[in-house]
Amino acid sequence: MGDAIHDESWKSWFQLYGPKLLLCARQWTRSVADAEDVVQEAFVRFWRHQRQLPGEPMALLVTSVRRVAIDFARRETRRAAREDFSAGGIEDNAPVFQTSLEGDDRRAAIETALRQLPPDQREVLVLKIWGELTFEQIGAQLEISPNTAASRYRYALGALRKELISADCHG
Amino acid sequence: MDDELQQLEAELKRLRPAAPSAALRVRLESDLAPASPVRAQRDEEHGVMRRSWLWVGALPVAAALIVLVVILTRRGSAVLPVTALTTAVSSRWESTAAPKEVFKPVAAENVLCAVSDDGLVTLDDGTAARRERLSYVDTITWRDPHTNASVRWTVPREEIRIVPVKFQ
Repeated sequence: MGDAIHDESWKSWFQLYGPKLLLCARQWTRSVADAEDVVQEAFVRFWRHQRQLPGEPMALLVTSVRRVAIDFARRETRRAAREDFSAGGIEDNAPVFQTSLEGDDRRAAIETALRQLPPDQREVLVLKIWGELTFEQIGAQLEISPNTAASRYRYALGALRKELISADCHG
Repeated sequence: MDDELQQLEAELKRLRPAAPSAALRVRLESDLAPASPVRAQRDEEHGVMRRSWLWVGALPVAAALIVLVVILTRRGSAVLPVTALTTAVSSRWESTAAPKEVFKPVAAENVLCAVSDDGLVTLDDGTAARRERLSYVDTITWRDPHTNASVRWTVPREEIRIVPVKFQ
């Protein structure tokens, strides 16, 4: 009985947070496979040791994901991986968002535009929109001030709009 | 932020991030599964391996003791503070190895298992000394006062005493 509760609760947590965590992890890894490895390690670590900590679970989970991603990058190849880490991810062609028949062209356009964003703007955008973190929490994650996080977010939205308009004109 | 950006923001929020693969879920299931008999057996084997590593880990400590004893003997120290050294080493082990938040050390015992006399040896400075080899088994017990669970750590220790010899 207890085991069933344990089992179901981690599953429901992962159902809720898993997709968001994967998207966050993809900002800091080179491929979806790497991102999944990072999410696995971070989620297990969180579930075993950090679940009882006070604070918002998503912020704790994102912290865990980022730390594991940094460790992962260091493990891979120290110098090259660090460059990749700072350069950000989601350059691979795996879909970033759930696909649906309706409005799929628009989703594809947004994904393409998102890939064009500078990594430091994109990670703030992802953490804000899909990670649902505040600018203060994003600042703490990325070791920047909340104001810098907010301005990167505005730049990211502006650049995204520009890319989408440009895609509409050409498309 | 203008209306257009707010609309874009709302549009982005409606997009759902892609779900992790089924393989990741399976891996998580295996990681977070409650302990099974097979896993318990694996842990047991791991425990045996860890204990054997402890035996290996005791060797450098014994070596360090020998070096210290030799140095002290060379300096002409008549008293060999082996006991003090041992206590210091033991207390350091206790302070670093014990998971202090939960478990508290409740007992420590040193059992002398064997003594052997290596006979007379000549030190580097030409003086004669007798070398004795003492084998101990140290057992330290920690207990969690809340659950009454206890952890016992048994580690071998070898002590070598160099006793200066005077011929009259």
